[in-house]
Amino acid sequence: MTGRCGVVVAHGRLAEGMLSALTRVAGEQDNLWAISNQGRGGEELEAEITQILDERGAGRQAYLLSDMDGGSCGQACRRLLASGRVKAVFFGINLPLLVEFVFLPDESFERFVTTVVDKGRKALGAHE
Amino acid sequence: MSVLLFRVDERLIHGQVVVGWARRLRPRRIIVVDDDLAGDSLERSIYRTGLPEGLRADFWSERDAISLLPEVLDSGEPTFVLTADLPTMARLARRGMPIEEINVGGLHRAEGRRRVLPYVSLDEGDERLIAELEEEGIRVVARDVPTAAPIRLSERARG
Repeated sequence: MTGRCGVVVAHGRLAEGMLSALTRVAGEQDNLWAISNQGRGGEELEAEITQILDERGAGRQAYLLSDMDGGSCGQACRRLLASGRVKAVFFGINLPLLVEFVFLPDESFERFVTTVVDKGRKALGAHE
Repeated sequence: MSVLLFRVDERLIHGQVVVGWARRLRPRRIIVVDDDLAGDSLERSIYRTGLPEGLRADFWSERDAISLLPEVLDSGEPTFVLTADLPTMARLARRGMPIEEINVGGLHRAEGRRRVLPYVSLDEGDERLIAELEEEGIRVVARDVPTAAPIRLSERARG
């Protein structure tokens, strides 16, 4: 188990779907959870993310992972970053990025963030 | 009429607005009328994040909006006007904005609010206001994204 944890915050059922996909390729994870913005106002979403982190992620460094920068999910994430509750917010996530997030061994914060983002970027492209 | 959409949505600028509505109606400007945000630079920068290229956002106090919106109407620039609650939009209408229809995109559940749609919960004040606005000739229509069927809220509100 690494010293970090995270909540995937996304529209519709994307967050739970992402975690379901992650579980298929990487097995059950004990440090990543999912929440949707559906039916939740901004404050409610922030409160529920905080609750998940407090209850399940106590003592671990917290991160958020959103499907899109901006938008209500991204905004809730940014506010929790501004309040200091989380260490960083990843946005525009994909499956390879999540794999890196859960498997990368603990290392310096900057290196961790750069490596995870790099993985996600390199995973994007088109075959023609 | 250069204002393409008058929208009430607690989340203000978010996916449904910049993707759903903006891809359909192609505004070049979003004006958020909100006294709190007009004075909060962190919140403004959070809302500006993720705005697509070619779409800019301004945050005006209600007072500024009442004096500045007429120029926007004259400018012909395609614009969305957003407020976080219905009373603010109703005041803009009553202070001279030519609003024919108010789009309601999201008013979420909270204590004292009755849920009338999955994404719209109204308090007693909202329900009265909807009936009054309809009498004044302003339609109040719930529609989160353009592909959804419009729902006249006066048919759902108790009035």
